[in-house]
Amino acid sequence: MPRRSCLAPLLFALALSAAASARADIAFVLNSKDDDMTLIDTTTYQVIKRVPTGKEPHHLMPTPDNKELIIANAAGNDLLVVDPITGEFKRRILRIPDPYHLGFSPDQHWFVITANRLDRTDIYRYENGEFSLAKRIPMAKTTSHMAFTPDSRVVFITVQESDQVAAIDLPTQTVRWKVGTGRQPAGIWVTPDGKHLLVGMTGEDYVEVLTVADGQRIKKLVTGKGAHNFLPRGDGRHVFLSNRVDNTISIIDMKSLQVVETFPVPNGPDDMELKSDGSELWVTSRWINRVSVIDLQTKKLKHSIRVGRSPHGLYFHDHAPRR
Amino acid sequence: MMDYLYQLIEPLQSWLFQALVLPTLHSLGFMSYADGAYDATGIAVLGIAEVALIYALIRPIEALRPAERWTDRRGARVDVLYTLLYRSGALPLLFFLLLGPLLNSVDIGLRTLGYLPPNLEELIPGLQAVPLLAFCCYVVIIDFSLYWFHRAQHRLDWWWALHAVHHSQRQMSLWTDDRNHVLDGLLHSFWLAILALLIGVPGAQFAAIIFLMKLVESLSHANVHFGFGPVGDRLLVSPRYHRVHHGIGVGHEGQARGCNFATLFPVWDILFRTANFAPVYPATGIRDQLDGADYGRGFLAQQGLALRRMWRVMLRARPTFP
Repeated sequence: MPRRSCLAPLLFALALSAAASARADIAFVLNSKDDDMTLIDTTTYQVIKRVPTGKEPHHLMPTPDNKELIIANAAGNDLLVVDPITGEFKRRILRIPDPYHLGFSPDQHWFVITANRLDRTDIYRYENGEFSLAKRIPMAKTTSHMAFTPDSRVVFITVQESDQVAAIDLPTQTVRWKVGTGRQPAGIWVTPDGKHLLVGMTGEDYVEVLTVADGQRIKKLVTGKGAHNFLPRGDGRHVFLSNRVDNTISIIDMKSLQVVETFPVPNGPDDMELKSDGSELWVTSRWINRVSVIDLQTKKLKHSIRVGRSPHGLYFHDHAPRR
Repeated sequence: MMDYLYQLIEPLQSWLFQALVLPTLHSLGFMSYADGAYDATGIAVLGIAEVALIYALIRPIEALRPAERWTDRRGARVDVLYTLLYRSGALPLLFFLLLGPLLNSVDIGLRTLGYLPPNLEELIPGLQAVPLLAFCCYVVIIDFSLYWFHRAQHRLDWWWALHAVHHSQRQMSLWTDDRNHVLDGLLHSFWLAILALLIGVPGAQFAAIIFLMKLVESLSHANVHFGFGPVGDRLLVSPRYHRVHHGIGVGHEGQARGCNFATLFPVWDILFRTANFAPVYPATGIRDQLDGADYGRGFLAQQGLALRRMWRVMLRARPTFP
């Protein structure tokens, strides 16, 4: 079991105290090349503070009870846990090798990490807020993003440099199937009916639609070059997809499996977050070190906020449902 | 400071990357390297900007207060090519392609064996919240390691055969810092990369450290007649201090294979008794050049002759059997 840091970084807590006292709705933006995060007030669009995280933070997500926000430091080999509302430091979980992407199964029993450089998927049991390693599963080159089936039995992993998607059975922690895909599969999403997988092909200009059962390819949806990552619109029907090379975002209808709209977002759109009222889409613009705020009524750029270098993961508490 | 510099180069970096580099990577199927390529574009832009900055700042001082007055600068011109090859990112890219897979394997091997690079910030509580202090710690560690790297360059005969390319410049100037044999440069990159891997230097800090070192090194090689004074010379490597390292009969051939090896901080030379604070501005080069030894005039000649020298040393070192 990974040990917790007994050295509570006092200065870290102090650095966050201003943010903690503000009580504004805070957007957390991970600056993966600056080893810190930018905290932004989502109502005024002003940067509140930049706070050190640990080395190379890429992705983040809240715990199932939404009481903690976990930031994965890939090169730091640790997880930073902060308050998802105030940003206040809670704890640091050490000795987690190469945590690139992370996710909880819907039933909250499993915590999965893709170790991107180590070419493996690490599965942890999650009980009472504690992680215990269940199994490390070696995979092909560059494990990337993940998605779970609604029944929490399977986690799907994209294996970016090997052009594969693999399905791992969680109760037995064994690979159920793996299939070849187009070039550099990255983001992956399971449709609400639990039947289809959408896989963003970053090395291509489309999304592959696979069957959940056996990974059979049934369709290609042309979206834009550099099809990368997904975020649901919260209506249980549509999902956003960022196209990193074409600088666009596509909206996909998960029922009809059609692209319904594509609109421009500048400078390498990557991860996204959606306001709970569906009014604004926040996007990390990786190639200009900014966060772009898109007005979803007009699909125009509303604000461009300077953050740190290579901004990647993005989160705010007041977000649309993940469905 | 680095943040300000990054902001300055950012528009050009972003434009170059999105207009040229990214579409090329995508069409070749190399999108997995996009993040690294974005950094490399930045390094190239920063490198060229740094060269322009160094030229603007140091060249006037060379003209006003030279350590040596030359009738022409022909001998210094080849160093401009070295500088452009290194700082445009061309040679670093070659090194990355050659070393990348090896270093990646080492990284994976270490982590698989359970060795996770120690975080300095983990060892020293509070350092996480003070990036500047962490940065300073990494600068000191890297500079210390480079001191020993440099001593090995002079101590080991086969390595000196390569490093002599750097020392054979008789017209040492602000361009001379990058005048290195490609194999020597490769070893230097390997050394730094392994060190970064072992002690876990964050990428952004690493780039900043190299930028800082290059600024100081360009100045320390400049053909200028000044030091930082009796105290300053002991705190930071000055042009005068480093000129002694390049001085004929002193820097390499002097007592116990030379002196003044430090890159940034002379404290290492002081601690290990290799410091020479004599207030002199010797002619630069290698002693046997005075007897006609040829180290080559052009880039290719210098590279080829160094390999030949190294080969001879290695042959000489082979054990002989009756």
